[in-house]
Amino acid sequence: MDIIKSSRDNLPVLQLKGRFDAHEVEPVNAWLAEHTGKGEARIIVNLEGMNFIDSTALSTLVRGLKNCRERNGDLHICSLQQPVRVIFELTRLDKAFDIFPTEEEAAKGF
Amino acid sequence: MPYENYARWKTEAITEEPKLSIVIPAYNERERIVATIGAIASHVSDLGFPWELLIADDGSKDDTVALCDDLHLVNMRVLRAPKNGGKGSAVQRGMLAARGTYVLFADADNSTPIEEVSKLLNKLEKESFDVAVGSRAAEGAEEGKKSMLRKILSGGLRWIVRHIFFIPVKDTQCGFKMYTREAAQKLHTKQTIMGFSFDLEILYLASKFGYKIAEVPVSWIDAPGSKVDTRKEVQRFLRDLMTVKMNDLKGVYR
Repeated sequence: MDIIKSSRDNLPVLQLKGRFDAHEVEPVNAWLAEHTGKGEARIIVNLEGMNFIDSTALSTLVRGLKNCRERNGDLHICSLQQPVRVIFELTRLDKAFDIFPTEEEAAKGF
Repeated sequence: MPYENYARWKTEAITEEPKLSIVIPAYNERERIVATIGAIASHVSDLGFPWELLIADDGSKDDTVALCDDLHLVNMRVLRAPKNGGKGSAVQRGMLAARGTYVLFADADNSTPIEEVSKLLNKLEKESFDVAVGSRAAEGAEEGKKSMLRKILSGGLRWIVRHIFFIPVKDTQCGFKMYTREAAQKLHTKQTIMGFSFDLEILYLASKFGYKIAEVPVSWIDAPGSKVDTRKEVQRFLRDLMTVKMNDLKGVYR
């Protein structure tokens, strides 16, 4: 999996590409801990280019979401490709996250 | 990749014979099965032909069956087993229940990405093979995240299978294989091994019965949470090799 760290409108953005499974959660956990442990945590996770996500990876994102909301912030997901969109739907996590078509809209959605 | 294709597959029951049946054996797969179903449903629905998905439960003690039922996918069937009988028994149940012209068996962890399915289908449909075996050993295959121990053991077992048992496949154990329905039903009806090395018996029989077998390089990822205990499985594999040979000598496969 490729991990690209950037920012948009002063919001931290994590872009993940490829297959996101339990082998890959550690760097994502570290990034989430860094950006959800202080202040009003508002972050974007861009999943453009991701074609598979497993339950461990989903749990990592859910934990990140929870940490953000505990600090009155949020974790916005954007740019889901169809396989990952279907996985979010089947696991009903599409109801838990605010999901946006583009990174720009995810940033404006705060 | 129009979402509408998936949405239609999810809600409208196919009325014609499926071109493809996909069988996923499942034992206590609550952590992995839904993501795999999602990846498969999304990809295969876009290939433009009727298909069905079969989850062959193997007596799971967790809520694998309930989770699958809860998805309400009209073209997915969940085959229940009263007790755990081994991965081979689950695959056998799925293969014998499949209605498709072609039948794929794929592992529940999506370790061979479903995007590889067309490679196998082309071998059967366009090149008239009866069996297409996904292979991590064929030229062009990609093996990601496989431990050194598993690499060494795999190499040794491949040598024995090829040179002592004359099975014309380098990788007998990859959980990604496609058969014509006729071949699937004949081979799995004769199956006697229900554990991990059932693949070996099926390929031995495919070779014995003269089916045309293609070995197709696929990518493969050693998915986290694998239930395979490598050392124990190697011992069982060697024992099962002997069982297959003895069965053949005793005429069990006639």
